[in-house]
Amino acid sequence: MSQQLSSPLPLFDQNLLRTVEKIVPDGEREEWSRTWQAELWHMHHRSRNGRAQTLAVTADLSIGLACDALWLRTDSWRRALNGTPTLCLASLLGLCLFFTLVALALNGSWHWLRLYLGDQFERSLFAAPLVVFVTFATASRGQIEPGSTNKKLYWLKRQLFFAVKMSLVLLLAFLLSADVCQPIHAPLPNTAELLQIFFFVLLALVSLRWVFHDQEQRCKQCLHSLATPARVGRPSHNLLEWNGTELLCKQGHGLLSVPEMETSWCESSQWVDLTPGWNQTASV
Amino acid sequence: MNAPRLSHSAALILKALSLGYCFGLDVMEITGLPSGTVYPALRRLERDELVESKWEPEEEAARSQRPARRYYEVTREGKATALAATQRYPLLAHLVPEKRS
Repeated sequence: MSQQLSSPLPLFDQNLLRTVEKIVPDGEREEWSRTWQAELWHMHHRSRNGRAQTLAVTADLSIGLACDALWLRTDSWRRALNGTPTLCLASLLGLCLFFTLVALALNGSWHWLRLYLGDQFERSLFAAPLVVFVTFATASRGQIEPGSTNKKLYWLKRQLFFAVKMSLVLLLAFLLSADVCQPIHAPLPNTAELLQIFFFVLLALVSLRWVFHDQEQRCKQCLHSLATPARVGRPSHNLLEWNGTELLCKQGHGLLSVPEMETSWCESSQWVDLTPGWNQTASV
Repeated sequence: MNAPRLSHSAALILKALSLGYCFGLDVMEITGLPSGTVYPALRRLERDELVESKWEPEEEAARSQRPARRYYEVTREGKATALAATQRYPLLAHLVPEKRS
């Protein structure tokens, strides 16, 4: 483009564009480059027409184009990872690491951290199976009707994801409860230990409920979060017809119908596999 | 439909666009915001469908021997949001003067 112009961009700007454009996702790179060539050209052109061209303006615009490129890159990651099981597990893992670092900061050194967490961990290890048992026993039976997606590989993938998510959530509950009770551990060790186990059970119960809920609201094939919830039917016609919420897999793998109330003719959520042609419709 | 709530800087940028400052550089100049704020905010506004971007006609730009620029237009939803933002931040109306054509 710059060959047709009365004056091309300065060498610094050209090099800057060439360097920063590597951050921009491939599909948007050409348009981004075109946009910034024009912006930089007009900035220099304006300066020649009397406005003071300062180094500050060039530096500011350089920051702007870098921020713009970074925004495009992070937005492409956001679009690619939004609702994926990878993001879910990575977020939980990130939180675990964060609370481990908080525990390290509170204890002062790895040695004291190991001593402090070692005791708490043993007690929590006894409580964890009880919490898991209670959560499984009280979890809603409104799960997917068996047989709707009977491919073993998908089933295995779902169970693996569920198990890893549950383990991470229990670890997170343990770390959080240990962090909360650490400041009172030195003056009141017995109270701190009791409070830690109490907080652990409480946090584990709440977070395991979330694990069940999250698992139910994911696609049974790709494990992405289901989207576009739509209300179907009228609650006032509950005795006459089905009413509830329908959620769709963005990849078009299927549809989940969640009844508003559990009735004798519709006790549980139902997963319906969609035919391959649906994935284009769903992505629209 | 409820208009989305914007940050002060996003509201200022949207206000500038609705008053006729349609290029990124113009918005920077009139609002005094740094480019690191303006350009990502323009992307967000476009993603939220409050503004849409278009390219100047190539022929027109080629005649004046300059590159065609990307410009921004406020959508109908964007206009409603700008109005709501002006009610939320009353000083916005005084911060950006209307563009003289």
